[in-house]
Amino acid sequence: MPKSVIPFGPQHPVLPEPLQLKLVLQDEKVVEAIPAIGYVHRGLEKLTETKDIQQNIFVVERICGICSFMHALAYCQGIEELMNVQVPDRARYLRVVWGELHRTHSHLLWLGLLADSFGFESLFMQAWRCRERVMDLMEMTAGSRVIISTNTIGGTRRDIDRETLGHIISEVDIIQAELKEFEQVFMYDYTVQHRLRGVGVLTKEDAYKLGAVGPVGRASGLAQDMRSSLRYAAYNELDIEPIVETEGDSYARTMVRIRELHQSADLLHQVYDKIPDGEIAVPVKGFPTGEVISRVEQPRGEVLYYLKANGTKNLERVRVRTPTFANIPPLMHMLPGSLLSDVPVLILCIDPCISCTER
Amino acid sequence: MLENISDINTDQLLSVTQQVDLEGYRFVTASCVDNNNGTLDLIYHYDLDGILKQFRLQVTHETVVPSISRIFYAALLVENEIKELFNVNITGIVIDYGGHLLLSKGAPESPMAYPNQITIERR
Repeated sequence: MPKSVIPFGPQHPVLPEPLQLKLVLQDEKVVEAIPAIGYVHRGLEKLTETKDIQQNIFVVERICGICSFMHALAYCQGIEELMNVQVPDRARYLRVVWGELHRTHSHLLWLGLLADSFGFESLFMQAWRCRERVMDLMEMTAGSRVIISTNTIGGTRRDIDRETLGHIISEVDIIQAELKEFEQVFMYDYTVQHRLRGVGVLTKEDAYKLGAVGPVGRASGLAQDMRSSLRYAAYNELDIEPIVETEGDSYARTMVRIRELHQSADLLHQVYDKIPDGEIAVPVKGFPTGEVISRVEQPRGEVLYYLKANGTKNLERVRVRTPTFANIPPLMHMLPGSLLSDVPVLILCIDPCISCTER
Repeated sequence: MLENISDINTDQLLSVTQQVDLEGYRFVTASCVDNNNGTLDLIYHYDLDGILKQFRLQVTHETVVPSISRIFYAALLVENEIKELFNVNITGIVIDYGGHLLLSKGAPESPMAYPNQITIERR
């Protein structure tokens, strides 16, 4: 049977950001997929060489709007390790609060986009309406909704008082209640299951070998979560286990994210019970020297920062490996064998962030 | 400081890569640093149960570096990226974008490598 090649993207209704896949098709079936990126590469790694170590916090935050806090966290933790800075306990807990709020809004945003990808507009609006509560919490605690700039080297730039923490918990409870209503549709609706079950299966062995991270890996049975394996920030004092599903299909990837929303709510409750009083930052003087790797768990998976410092105010190298960059090879493995109509859902199932990939 | 890092040469690259594969490590990524003295450091990062293991390979722009993407398919994108941004001669990548993974035709060549680095103008 003759093969044809069609370009999927870079402009496509299902893609918020430009990504192209050259799809080799046999009839309606995908036999090969070659990704093409580079449409919006910004050279931010290069920019960090000209900014000082404090300014770089604001540069790395702008790698991605969805997980900006985690980028700053990974960067700050790396510099703190190089300079042997002990972050105050309260700041470690505050980092968990903003980190889990970011995870919550990212997963709710993704659920909406997934619903939109198979044309379920009302479900899309339910998810995004719920997400607005998180954005309001972000604005209340940090002054802005997306890039919150609350991390600094040595701790956090803002505190959250007890009353506001209580408000966060009450809002999180409402979010969980709303989620419990519309998650039923993702879990049991016939049409949704038809679009997700058995689509884009990635075995545990393939996921590991191809370097899958985050919910993509965990949906294939990999118990791999930097929060529980590295225990950074205050996660060493919180009860957390990786959320794992075993089917490895698009449905499993959806279930992992829904369960992680509940896990984030649980972590916020734990923080509310355990957060100590005290300072939120320690003064940091001098400049770092040496090389370090810093990793944290973003909503889409593990992000890695390699930092090389030479004792001056500028760093020699800031290298960032984002989770979407790691999840593209698994996507290339998932697509062959699927139908052309499943391609949008499959791309969305890795929760692609092109601004992260094209840092 | 980087932990569990070993210096290797190009002849050892594929054998140590096969060894970490057999030991069950996951390929995390590779990083490239231009040392501004004619040499570049290629650092390969692997993970096993949260513990990193790393190999540092020092090369020049003329050194032929074999691709590890036939052992770890996941390395294909980062190898293409390093090849075009730093002008490292990596050969045998399973999908070679020919210098156009990120850079379009007419873009500055190897913008992250000295002495061709793009200078960011200050206002």
